[in-house]
Amino acid sequence: MKRFEYADEKISDNQILVAMPSFVIGIGILYLPRSMASVTTGSDGWLSLVIGGIIAVIITWSVAKLSASFPNQSFINYSSTIVTKPIATVITFLFVILGIMVTALQVRQIADISKHYLLIETPVEIISLVFLLLILYGVGNSRAGLFRLNTMFLPFVLFIALVVIVFNINHFNPDFLMPAFQTGFGGLWEGTKGSILSYAGFGVVWFYITLVERPEKTPKKAAIGMCIPIILYLVLYLACIMVFGNSVTANLQYPTIELAKIVEIPGGILERFESLFFVIWIMAIFNTTAMALDIAILALHSIFGKTNKIKLLFIVSPIVYITGMYPQDLMQLSHFSTFIGYSSLIYTVFVYILLFATAKIRKVI
Amino acid sequence: MVKIHNNRFSNQNKKREQPKEDTFSNIITNNLEENLDNLNKLLDKPDDLLIRKFSIRGSEHQCATVYIDGLADSNYVRNNIIENLQIQRGKIQIPQNKEMLFDVLNQELLSSTTLETGLTLDDASNGILSGNTVLYIDGIDKVFIIGTQGWEKRAIEEPVTESVIRGPRDGFVEDLRTNMTLIRRYIHDPNLRFKTHQIGRRSKKNLVVTYIADVIHPDILKEINRRLASIDTDDAPESSFIEQWIEDDYLSPFPQLINTERPDKASAALLQGKVVILLDGSPFVLIAPSTLGTAMQSPEDYYERWTIGTLLRILRYLAAFIAIFLPSLYIALVSFHPGMIPSNLAFSIAASREGVPFTPLVEASLMAITMELLREAGARLPKTIGQTIGIVGGLVIGDAAVQAGIVSPIMVIVVALNAIASFALPAYSIAIAFRIILFGFIILSGIFGLYGIIIGYIMVNIHIVNLKSIGVPFSTPFAPTFFKDWGDLIFRKPVPLLTERPRYMQPNNKKSTVKENKE
Repeated sequence: MKRFEYADEKISDNQILVAMPSFVIGIGILYLPRSMASVTTGSDGWLSLVIGGIIAVIITWSVAKLSASFPNQSFINYSSTIVTKPIATVITFLFVILGIMVTALQVRQIADISKHYLLIETPVEIISLVFLLLILYGVGNSRAGLFRLNTMFLPFVLFIALVVIVFNINHFNPDFLMPAFQTGFGGLWEGTKGSILSYAGFGVVWFYITLVERPEKTPKKAAIGMCIPIILYLVLYLACIMVFGNSVTANLQYPTIELAKIVEIPGGILERFESLFFVIWIMAIFNTTAMALDIAILALHSIFGKTNKIKLLFIVSPIVYITGMYPQDLMQLSHFSTFIGYSSLIYTVFVYILLFATAKIRKVI
Repeated sequence: MVKIHNNRFSNQNKKREQPKEDTFSNIITNNLEENLDNLNKLLDKPDDLLIRKFSIRGSEHQCATVYIDGLADSNYVRNNIIENLQIQRGKIQIPQNKEMLFDVLNQELLSSTTLETGLTLDDASNGILSGNTVLYIDGIDKVFIIGTQGWEKRAIEEPVTESVIRGPRDGFVEDLRTNMTLIRRYIHDPNLRFKTHQIGRRSKKNLVVTYIADVIHPDILKEINRRLASIDTDDAPESSFIEQWIEDDYLSPFPQLINTERPDKASAALLQGKVVILLDGSPFVLIAPSTLGTAMQSPEDYYERWTIGTLLRILRYLAAFIAIFLPSLYIALVSFHPGMIPSNLAFSIAASREGVPFTPLVEASLMAITMELLREAGARLPKTIGQTIGIVGGLVIGDAAVQAGIVSPIMVIVVALNAIASFALPAYSIAIAFRIILFGFIILSGIFGLYGIIIGYIMVNIHIVNLKSIGVPFSTPFAPTFFKDWGDLIFRKPVPLLTERPRYMQPNNKKSTVKENKE
């Protein structure tokens, strides 16, 4: 008789499929249309989004493939077998720092946006502290729980995005899509860089695939999961362009939330839909942040071995909070976010090439 | 005997010389008088212990029947035991040999459906205390324990806590045997199992674990048996004690085992691969494991046609939403995001709040606590006065509070709607859980508005996904996701399509319609 399954810490590859979009969809999409529109003309940003998306899928698939060839081994274990243990420890530790930075960034950004749209009078420090405590509660409980939360929240998030798009259809103006294919190569490249940053969810693949019991199909599932945010971003971007036009989109702080602002609920039972939209979106941001912190803790745990998870959380969370509170204004925050985006992207690619090449040379796989 | 070690009491202790305790042995001897004496010493000669000594059919063999008046059926004892043993009739010869006498009694004279032999005083006293009659025979070091249980019990009535418009009207009663019969009458399956445990060091109550052997996943059964074995208590007066002993998380507001008074609900759970726990003396049986989805279902969903069943369930989820969120949403909108309320409504809310001295947070907390008071008072009072409480509380206090300008009329509507919604839920335990959470949301929304509500919502979700019921995640089949089970979750498929047992229970035999299971 088979064991009573699914109730333990192991996760299925379908949960990876859900975890990918849950990790990727977060704050990025709220301002992505702006960064796309500001470097491209007309609706050409979609080209950048698609190119960036394809690159993101390829990276996801390759990393997943590499991870999956070491089933049921933690990242530090299999990277130790490829490159030596000290180097593997350094690599893992950099992932920890990256995870902490991503968490800090999200905690700060959510507080800024909440202050802007929901809580005008509450200080940013309080809003982010509350959110950080929530994250700690989520991460402090079981890891399987986080994956279940992904499956419970993603439908809400996709649904509210769909509502925003559907109720904006009567505002769509197809003329804004023109002129097409007028952006130069430089603009497209800039856009592609921006879009890859918004897809950066590779950490999930590095660390979580090792928890999958039978990871043969997981690379495919991870790649499929990666496609969900690409489609969502594409649709939301096009909706922004069709409603606002290129130049307005380029000048809005959070075009996606503004898109929700002009939604009129039939019957007029609720006004200012953007508040509700953002409230639901907090679920998406929660998933991103919780998983980022969880990866940091998972990586840290793999370095220090037996240390208690809760103890690690208590050590890490003040660092997260202080880092998040450090940027003084929106400009600094935006630099911080770009820096983290690039470093996580470059670092992932670098580690992949390092591990893959060494593994090939030393014939580990 | 209690020994007091404290010196202060030692003097008094010496003065009050404890009478030397009567000693008696646990074994049953050949001597009838000694045996009866031992028994009397153990039980301290209670008035309701009836001992009748006589000789078997006029022979020189002395014997005695012992039973407790009221627990055993006196008529049965007289007609089937004493009469048979006393009066000479038929051709049965009473042998001289004690061994042979025992056999003759066992085989021919004692006409009772249940008959056991006891070897120790404990066997005998347990038998007597559970309503059996014990037969001592002089010269034999064994006793007969004859099943004569028959006490006053409540007739089967309609369940008070779970009434349905359409469906069977019988409900469980306090008597364990009757409850087992009720389940047997619903499921005539040879694989239906009743396993008895004994609970309570002093009360020695019977607890029966019921399941269908070829449907249930053995791990669940093993886990339940392990937890039941860990129970160590003097008495379990209600099945709720069992629930609180074996539940996974005692800090959770959510009920991890569902209780029911309805045999149809219990047997439906059995067919889904779950375990039903019956406790003697409690009309509420426990269904384990249970999930959030099952807590929101009522048997009536299946008895009405599927469109009605589905709509009822959607209505119930809406009720759950109102029961948890309505007051907090009102607070958030009025005090933090008035811009979100449509302008006409915003004007009328503002007008109705004119002159109200409290913030919406205080106002809502006041009303919600009043509501809890009314509910509790209505539940404790006798039914006839209970209705008065409803009228006094609901109409008089509500109206007077509005007239006096303490609360706004809209807040009364909000709280009343909220209370009605929470009582529309099928299980009282889950409704109470929601009402606890409600207060958390009221406070959060009073501090952080909509942001607080979503933070609270995520918190509750974190709790739910980590909660388990006998090892089964409480949030399944939502997450961990079992799409095949979604046909009977919020939607309720037409009955002919309900062919599979829930996947999340991982039952041994998946289909409920086809006899042969391929998998």
